[in-house]
Amino acid sequence: MRKALALLAIALIAIPAFAQTGGTIKIGGIWTLSDITGKQGSAAALLAVEEINKAGGVNGKMLELIIADDEGKADKAAAAVEKLATVDKVEAFIGGMASGAEVGKIPAYAKYNKVVVATGAASSAIVEKALGPSPGSDYYFHLHPWDYNQGASYAEGWDAIQKKYPSIKIKKIFLAYEEGAFGKSSWDATKLLFGSDKRYTVDGAPFKSALLGGGDYSAVLEAAKDFKPDLFLWAGYDADALPMLEQSKAIKFTPKIYLGAPPGWPIGFGSSKLSKNVMLYGMWSPSMNDTNPASKKFYDAYVKKYREEPATYFALLAYDAVMILADGIRVAGTTETAALVKALEATKYASPLGETITFKPSNIIKHQGITRQKILQWQNGFQEVLWPFEAATAAPVFPFPAWK
Amino acid sequence: MAMKRRATILAALSAAATILILLWKPSVINNGIQQAGLYAAIAIPMGLVLGIVHIVNLAHGEFMMVAAYATYFACRATGMDPLLAVLPSAAVTAAFGWVVFKLTIKRALKAPELNQLILTFGIAIALTQAVNILFTSQTFKLQLDYVSASIDIGEDTFPVWSYVFVAFAILYAAGLKLFLTRTTIGKAALAVGQNPKGAAIVGIDVNRVYGLVFALALALVGAMGALFLTKQSIFPSVGSPYTMKSFCLVAVAGIGNIPGILGASLLLGISEQVLRGFRDTRAWADIVFFVLIIAVILGRSIKWRKS
Repeated sequence: MRKALALLAIALIAIPAFAQTGGTIKIGGIWTLSDITGKQGSAAALLAVEEINKAGGVNGKMLELIIADDEGKADKAAAAVEKLATVDKVEAFIGGMASGAEVGKIPAYAKYNKVVVATGAASSAIVEKALGPSPGSDYYFHLHPWDYNQGASYAEGWDAIQKKYPSIKIKKIFLAYEEGAFGKSSWDATKLLFGSDKRYTVDGAPFKSALLGGGDYSAVLEAAKDFKPDLFLWAGYDADALPMLEQSKAIKFTPKIYLGAPPGWPIGFGSSKLSKNVMLYGMWSPSMNDTNPASKKFYDAYVKKYREEPATYFALLAYDAVMILADGIRVAGTTETAALVKALEATKYASPLGETITFKPSNIIKHQGITRQKILQWQNGFQEVLWPFEAATAAPVFPFPAWK
Repeated sequence: MAMKRRATILAALSAAATILILLWKPSVINNGIQQAGLYAAIAIPMGLVLGIVHIVNLAHGEFMMVAAYATYFACRATGMDPLLAVLPSAAVTAAFGWVVFKLTIKRALKAPELNQLILTFGIAIALTQAVNILFTSQTFKLQLDYVSASIDIGEDTFPVWSYVFVAFAILYAAGLKLFLTRTTIGKAALAVGQNPKGAAIVGIDVNRVYGLVFALALALVGAMGALFLTKQSIFPSVGSPYTMKSFCLVAVAGIGNIPGILGASLLLGISEQVLRGFRDTRAWADIVFFVLIIAVILGRSIKWRKS
């Protein structure tokens, strides 16, 4: 009798969460839809919802993804959360890319206290700080690595690569960084991670990204050329990628390693002659399809549905966000925040990104997903993974070839 | 006499500064001149519209962006080099400008200046958003070998491709000077610019002249759209900063002073490169153009008070 009453009580708590949406579980997805990361992220999330619903849904309920556009702006992002929470009455949130927009959502997220599986926002100083420590931010599950996670993984990666390939020796590092928050935080992290123990000599200079009205890299490239770095890396945007290489070629600047770290690459970059052996930081590339069945499954399904390649790893993060959230709801049996948070804390999800996602505490918040990024290289028009070695698809080509 | 002496001192100081910079870092002058060419070639058409039609076209850079997109897709579809697309791009953008003028700007010519500003600002937003919706904010770039052209002098390598912008800027300034002083329509445009009512009294169709000048300016912007594509990536908001810089240069040069835009661009381009040449001032380069416009406006204001 007691057992029956207990079951009845659990059912009474759990049912309203589903009942209020009339048999569906509504998820709110917020991205910058005019951006390729948002366009493909939302498309990949819809693909995940479709796959889950085809397989019978979650606990007999169909998932419904309601997409909103944050236009890359904090105020629009906050308005999108309000609208999804109050008008559409969603039961959980996914999405996000730019830290500047994500920070606008946080007060509204905190107000509604629904589970969020965030796919973007790397700036710890802006977003993680705004979220604050546990338990206030326990509703927030952050998939993308924070900037300090990224920096630490690059340092680890370069150490490992130099150990495995003795011909690659890095002593001098030059960072060309865009003048905004993204570039500045990259510069601070690079100085701290590579320059603090004196193993590397680090220098850097800012440039105005083409995305913000710049596009003349002559001064920064000349400073880099004078420094004669073993590793030249630039932290900017996709709009800088080809002009940066063209202007490097114009002044015959040939570092031993030429590495770009934009959030995405321009369309057709791989088919450019200049892309040859340029290295990059990222999380995924289609070349992983050969070694990772989950990656191939996602890639094939995405290409079949949308007739285009996923051009950014944010597509995979959005796909993962839906899958992780659905698994959590399945285990919790409800979308009620405390139960769902508890279920998500036990997540062990084999991602197409090539790693098993679990949530662990980061510097401030309690639920951080991925902490490592990958070092890749453009080889023959394709992004090949160099490190971590367990996900590697090719050996590094070194040094960067002289300009012809 | 005093003015002549002041001009001589200014010229001597400029020459001395140039020699010092050349000795310190020759690339600063090389890069500064090329950057100035880009600024001037984009700003001159805005100066033409402001000088004759008396409209601050806040959609100036956006028209260039649309021309660059049209050129990009034409080049991708046909395999054509963007240099060959300069004239077709100019013609198409001129036609587009003519239509925009007839449909919108013509109707706001007699409206208060604020309305004109809001109108062109609205056109700018509409163009940006339309391109954003059609092509997303993803960037596009043609990869062209010749943009990496350079010459070696001693141990230094100097990029030279952007001198094409310098050539176009000089061509624009000289061509417009000839057009405005040697052709009938050009003289009519000059008359309309100086005194539209007087021009109308002597039988000049003022609205037609405005439309032609606007279309001509957009033809020049369209040609620059194709050229811009050779050097830079394009995306929906790529034109907007050039609207601001162009307006600044036109204001510094003085309304209607097209050769003055060349000088103002040179000052801006070289000043930016000088600041970028020093480690501690690199991040300040962007402020030059604000300082320039504030200094010029203050200078003019003081001069006006004295007079």
